[in-house]
Amino acid sequence: MFAFIVRSVFFKAVTLLIISVVSFLIVHLAPGEPSQIDPLNPRFRKEDIARYREAFDLDKPLHQQYFLLYKKLFTGELKSFKDNQSVLGKIWTRFLNSLPLFILGTILTWCLAFPMGVGAALRRRGLFDQSTTLLSYLLISLPGFFLAYLLIIGTVNWLEVPVLGIHTFGQGDAPLIYQVNDRMWHLILPSLLGATGGIAVLSRYVRGQMIEVLDSDYVRTALAKGLPSDTVFYVHALRNAALPFITMFGLLLPGLIGGSVIIEAIFAWPGMGRMGYEAILSRDFPIIISLNFISAVLVVIGTLVSDILYVIVDPRIRL
Amino acid sequence: MLVKRLLLLVPLAVIVLLLQSYFWVPTFSDQVKGSDARLRQYIEGSIGDAQILNPILHTDASSGRIVSLVLDGLIDRDENLNYRGRLATSWEIYEEAYFVPRPGGPSAGDLRERIGRARAAGQPEWARNITRAEVIPPAEEKNILAVPKGRGQRGFDQVPVAVAYPERVKLTLKEVDQDLFDRLKALLGPDAFATDPAPYLKSELQGPARQRAASEVHLTEHNPVIVFRLRKGVLFHDGHEFDSGDVRFTYEAIMNPANLSPRVADYEPVKRVETPDRHTVRVVYKRLYSPAFGTWGMGMLPEHLLNAKALAEEARRRNQDPAKFTMRDSGFNRHPVGTGAFRFLEWRSDEVIRLARFEKYWEGAPNYEEYIYRIIPDPLTQELEFYSGSVDSYSAEPHQVRRLRRDPRFQSFSGLAFGYTYIGFNLRRPPFGDPRVRRALTMAVNTRQIREFLLYGEGEDITGPFVKQSDHYNHGVKPLPYDPRAAERLLHEAGWKKTNGVMRKDGKPLQFTLVTNHGNEVRKAIAVAVQDAWKRVGVPVQVDLVEWAVFIQKYINTLNFDAVILGWQMGLDPDLFQIWHSSQTGPGQLNFVGYSNPRADELIIKIRQEYDLKKQVGYAHELHRIIYEDQPYSFLYVSKWTALLDRKIVIAEKGPDGKTRHRKITPTKTGSHTFHFNKWLKLPQVPELEG
Repeated sequence: MFAFIVRSVFFKAVTLLIISVVSFLIVHLAPGEPSQIDPLNPRFRKEDIARYREAFDLDKPLHQQYFLLYKKLFTGELKSFKDNQSVLGKIWTRFLNSLPLFILGTILTWCLAFPMGVGAALRRRGLFDQSTTLLSYLLISLPGFFLAYLLIIGTVNWLEVPVLGIHTFGQGDAPLIYQVNDRMWHLILPSLLGATGGIAVLSRYVRGQMIEVLDSDYVRTALAKGLPSDTVFYVHALRNAALPFITMFGLLLPGLIGGSVIIEAIFAWPGMGRMGYEAILSRDFPIIISLNFISAVLVVIGTLVSDILYVIVDPRIRL
Repeated sequence: MLVKRLLLLVPLAVIVLLLQSYFWVPTFSDQVKGSDARLRQYIEGSIGDAQILNPILHTDASSGRIVSLVLDGLIDRDENLNYRGRLATSWEIYEEAYFVPRPGGPSAGDLRERIGRARAAGQPEWARNITRAEVIPPAEEKNILAVPKGRGQRGFDQVPVAVAYPERVKLTLKEVDQDLFDRLKALLGPDAFATDPAPYLKSELQGPARQRAASEVHLTEHNPVIVFRLRKGVLFHDGHEFDSGDVRFTYEAIMNPANLSPRVADYEPVKRVETPDRHTVRVVYKRLYSPAFGTWGMGMLPEHLLNAKALAEEARRRNQDPAKFTMRDSGFNRHPVGTGAFRFLEWRSDEVIRLARFEKYWEGAPNYEEYIYRIIPDPLTQELEFYSGSVDSYSAEPHQVRRLRRDPRFQSFSGLAFGYTYIGFNLRRPPFGDPRVRRALTMAVNTRQIREFLLYGEGEDITGPFVKQSDHYNHGVKPLPYDPRAAERLLHEAGWKKTNGVMRKDGKPLQFTLVTNHGNEVRKAIAVAVQDAWKRVGVPVQVDLVEWAVFIQKYINTLNFDAVILGWQMGLDPDLFQIWHSSQTGPGQLNFVGYSNPRADELIIKIRQEYDLKKQVGYAHELHRIIYEDQPYSFLYVSKWTALLDRKIVIAEKGPDGKTRHRKITPTKTGSHTFHFNKWLKLPQVPELEG
């Protein structure tokens, strides 16, 4: 076990190194300059552009830029081109904004997917099973932004309520209960939309797992023995069917930082995803590279955690 | 069975908990649910976030909007687009002029005598404009010139250049007179002035760099002077009093190379800024340049928060090297302090910028307590936020205007944009060198139809390069009629004959490529409409759509195009030098169509040197007519904007009896509905108002 951890940490460090080089190169080799030093801007004289490039280290050879950038990132000195703010500070505030979306999205995913999957498995080929199957495929195949616009337009036109942003503006003086509920209201649509894909996919998995377990010998034995069917389904079968999903917690980790670019952009949600998107538009290299690198780190840690969880929940697996 | 119940109850509980929150959220018609603070807030939506809240550093529209609310300038425009004082109460503009007498000719003293006599006699008449004539002793002026480094090297060297002037004559004029030296030549003889700069230049530079340095020698020099009288007792938001030192500081900050200010070009013509006392600012210019006056509308920085001492202290506080710490690094740019009607509260990036009204504003505090600038990157989202009452204004798309104007929930305002869309012809290439061809191409296009069907009627015709609602626009210039027959006749006149439906001359067909940028649907549609219209008169045209950056770099900047569809955004100042002067036709310059007309050049220079509005308008009208007659562009249209507001927003004014009266928001003559913004207020219900 210990040897496994040491080995995978080593390989993952190598992976990260390669990712750091590749993401740096992709950003720098793509055409276009940071918007601050846009040579198309007629207001800039040549000497101004040269001075900007120097200030942002852009006049140095690529390999030096690479080391400087990652050195600054690790020492926390890295600053955004756009507003000279510390990159890590910016990422942290945006992370806190994305966090509630992520938490509620996860709660919704797991809360809805399990009953749906289990219900469908127990009523195999019944009406419930068929309709959840249809729903799942609809949710998987409908593009998120399309669904988002439909939901937003419907809610705004019929209910005349705001749905975008973190909260309704101008509610700062309202009693606490109004504010709490207002924030909750604003969370519903984006987190639901963020969860649709998860709900659809996860409920399919749960259904599959559950069906597999229901077909196994010990379930048949338990039923033959005359145990109440609820005990068999919800205690014996569900517990075994749910095992593989525990490992999915590890894979949730990268979702923390990725956020959802499309959902956050549509809902004017000042989260991480939108920051990344805007950084790309304005060619804010430090933000793009840092986000990329941090999410790579999280993916790597996530896979490591899920590997370890596997071993813990299922003693049959040896590493 | 517990697990079974949990599987049903937990999701149900979560859903119920979430959905009940709906009953606590304010709706469009009931915006005061929970709190009535919403009535005292104005919320505006914006596509993009601000970048840097500093009037001398920002380049984007969002920052400009916030900066204009937080920091007042010395002047701005009134309801009729004339200048009015803000931090300045009044101003006067006069001129100081210098000239170097020709070596070997009459001395400075002699010339001064002759001018003095003419002035005393009041003969010729213009001499009355001279208030003072004096001889000034020899002086040396030092300057720094940015000279490109040698071959193969990037960047510029800063080279000192000195000019040693001999005795000069200095004249002080009541009013700026751009023809002064021509008039003086008539009075003093044609060769009274020195013409060769070489003897006065002290520099080791050689070759082209020396020639550039020679242009620093001014043998005759107009120095317009603007004297601003500043408003007394104006306070910055931190309680510090505003005075002339802040104006001088703002100018110096722009010119400080460490700050990399994008406004340098606007203030480069300034020779020096003097502050004779706390409430007077004297700006002396190097040359005649009337657009410079408008630049004083820029927000004034607080010196006490941003001068070298304050910056050094801030650097120490933040543990940074004071030597490298510039205004660009200062926290001020995310927390500005000015003298404007609103003071800065907070800025959460890509989410919101909040401002609160400044209770001690010199003009009286605005009605709204808070101004909120929301960043909503998606236009549809903005529209929906407007419908749900969490944004107060919305700019309607052309196709929505008719529907939304009728909506009883909203009030709407329309006006003309400052800008126009046009087809530009590359005048260097045949057949566009012939004005008849250009006129024919214009007459073949039905711009009325373009406005009707592509803009849903939200546009007007335009015939010239000035803002249509400004005085400089010549309404006497009538647009060429849409007349394909006449267009064909004009082409015949120019030597083109129609065979097999195609215009030909010497066997060659009249055909070319029309280019515009990708991503602008209206321009794309125009290209197709124009292609069809020209085909009908026998001119087959190929349409090309190119990505914006490629379009500018590969076509416009390299002058490699036949005809393009583009648009200009304009300011109110009538200076057309960059776009229309024949000296601006090189690669990468803005007169990319290659327009060149000696009379137009002359007028363009006259306009930018004229400080008298009436005379300037006269020149502008003539220039407008000349450009339209030459048709280097086919002017297509100026678009209309329509802004929507919640009908619950009104103008609230205190009457003489102390009671607050409400009246409808009415636009000014030039179409601006936001002119009285500081008096706006939102009511809980739609009011019944007359008018």
